[in-house]
Amino acid sequence: MTSKRGWRSRAVFLLVLCAAIPAVGQAQANAPNIARGPDGKPDLNGIWQVLNSAAWDLQDHSAALGVPPGQSVVEGGTIPYLPAAAAKQRDNFEHRDTDDPAEVTCYLPGVPRATYMPFPFEIIQTPKLIVFSYEFAHARRNVFTDGSSHPSGFPDFWMGDSRGRWEGDTLVVDVTNLDDRTWLDHAGNFHSDALHVVERYTPIDAGHIMYEATLEDPKVFTRPWKITMPLYRRIEKNVKVLEYECVYYLQEKRYGNAKPIGVP
Amino acid sequence: MRTALFGISAAAAVVAMIMMPAPANAQEKAAPKYVAPRTADGHPDMQGAWARRGVGLQESNAPNSPLGDFGSTGQPYPTVFNTGVSTTQDRSVLQGRPTGVIDPADRVLPWRPEADAARREFIPKMIPPASLAYIEKSARCVLPGPLEADDRHPYQIIQRPGYFVMMYEYNHVTRVIPTDGRSHVGPDIRLFMGDPVGHWEGETLVVDTTNFNDKTSLGRTVPYHSDALHTIERYTKIDPNIIDYQITIEDPKMFTRPIKIAGTFQAAAGETELMEFACAEGSQTLPNIFGFELAPGRVPANR
Repeated sequence: MTSKRGWRSRAVFLLVLCAAIPAVGQAQANAPNIARGPDGKPDLNGIWQVLNSAAWDLQDHSAALGVPPGQSVVEGGTIPYLPAAAAKQRDNFEHRDTDDPAEVTCYLPGVPRATYMPFPFEIIQTPKLIVFSYEFAHARRNVFTDGSSHPSGFPDFWMGDSRGRWEGDTLVVDVTNLDDRTWLDHAGNFHSDALHVVERYTPIDAGHIMYEATLEDPKVFTRPWKITMPLYRRIEKNVKVLEYECVYYLQEKRYGNAKPIGVP
Repeated sequence: MRTALFGISAAAAVVAMIMMPAPANAQEKAAPKYVAPRTADGHPDMQGAWARRGVGLQESNAPNSPLGDFGSTGQPYPTVFNTGVSTTQDRSVLQGRPTGVIDPADRVLPWRPEADAARREFIPKMIPPASLAYIEKSARCVLPGPLEADDRHPYQIIQRPGYFVMMYEYNHVTRVIPTDGRSHVGPDIRLFMGDPVGHWEGETLVVDTTNFNDKTSLGRTVPYHSDALHTIERYTKIDPNIIDYQITIEDPKMFTRPIKIAGTFQAAAGETELMEFACAEGSQTLPNIFGFELAPGRVPANR
């Protein structure tokens, strides 16, 4: 009843018969003490969360009201913008308190921002499908590890289209079809619809995954660039991913005391 | 569309009740004939893509709802909504299966008189909505609660030891249901989807859900419930293509006794893949009702 963009909502039949992905060399396990599934692959199941301020600004930044200070998670320190894009980022920054599509507008946060929002997420791993369920806006990604490639002809998605593979103990996720309306952080760092993200999830011990994401977007950046941060396992007893139903709270704030059109 | 579909299913159910005096008993007797394949940890394997059929709180003494007066679209608001379609095998296999409210058998819901009076006063104010509080919950793109998902979209079940995960395409709902014996979260945590805890009883997964908030609805004529809501669901695979589904609804602030609803998960054909259902991101429903955008900024909501 409330569906829109029905072309996004269809069940799609994928007959992926011949995903000709060459066998990746199975590097022998080099990280001790990591959980493994029956297939010998690392077991990433669990609830994870970052401990940094990348959601506010990926780069070095001082504190502000409601903004924790932080050091850059960008390799080399700074994002390599093309000149026009750098100007757009500055404009975004000036309007961040009204324009941030995730934190202010409650849109789905996109990739890679979903990873480092200051909320936990749960990984549910099966051999052919790894689900990422995020607390923020109950966002979800299905990462297919069945050897399939990105289908052609798909539209852009807020959370993109994710196809994964294992390189030794690293889950490599290739993400395309990303909607250009998401930002990379609250500081207005952004991308275009040409964004291509390659994420690497490498468990380094039982409680930590090293997360890397390489962002390539020739319309916005001069070259591919990389962010790196650890993901921490949430080990509290009975910990669960709860709900941050962002849009509900925003509706209450914006419309809670408003009159519908035509209502006296 | 939804109103029309519900009308048809309610009529079909009445016919079924006349022809079949005890559909619930018949189904319970039939269940043991089939033993589902097992997952690695020895429980029935229900993994795959499914279409949910017949689950809804239709009542035989419902008040008229102005939400039902919008013809075949079922869309009471000016919107750009479209409809998705999930795809399954032949629907005829569902014939004779229990559908909708099965207890009370006459579908006269056991309302507390004061709660019934309150909702009968509430419903006429929903169109045009007197305020945000009267807007149909499912028009707000928030998590749908225990009953109000749109069944035109597929579901997918995945299982791993200690967990049963029910994913909806509709509004990208993910219910991670622990079956490892862990307890409910504390009583001050209230959730749109509640806090589910599952356990296996042989062929059946039983899911106990508490900690609901009071911000979702149970149907067009049950436009809200209380935070005392408690549900018990039973998932039993009775055939390679059928999961028998029952949900018991308890809300002692609304009803004098539990209500039991039946439905079916029917296997989706082929390799159905859930797509992204981005609801709030594209919806103009509330901006059209109130005359200004939900978000204060310059990011286009729709294009």
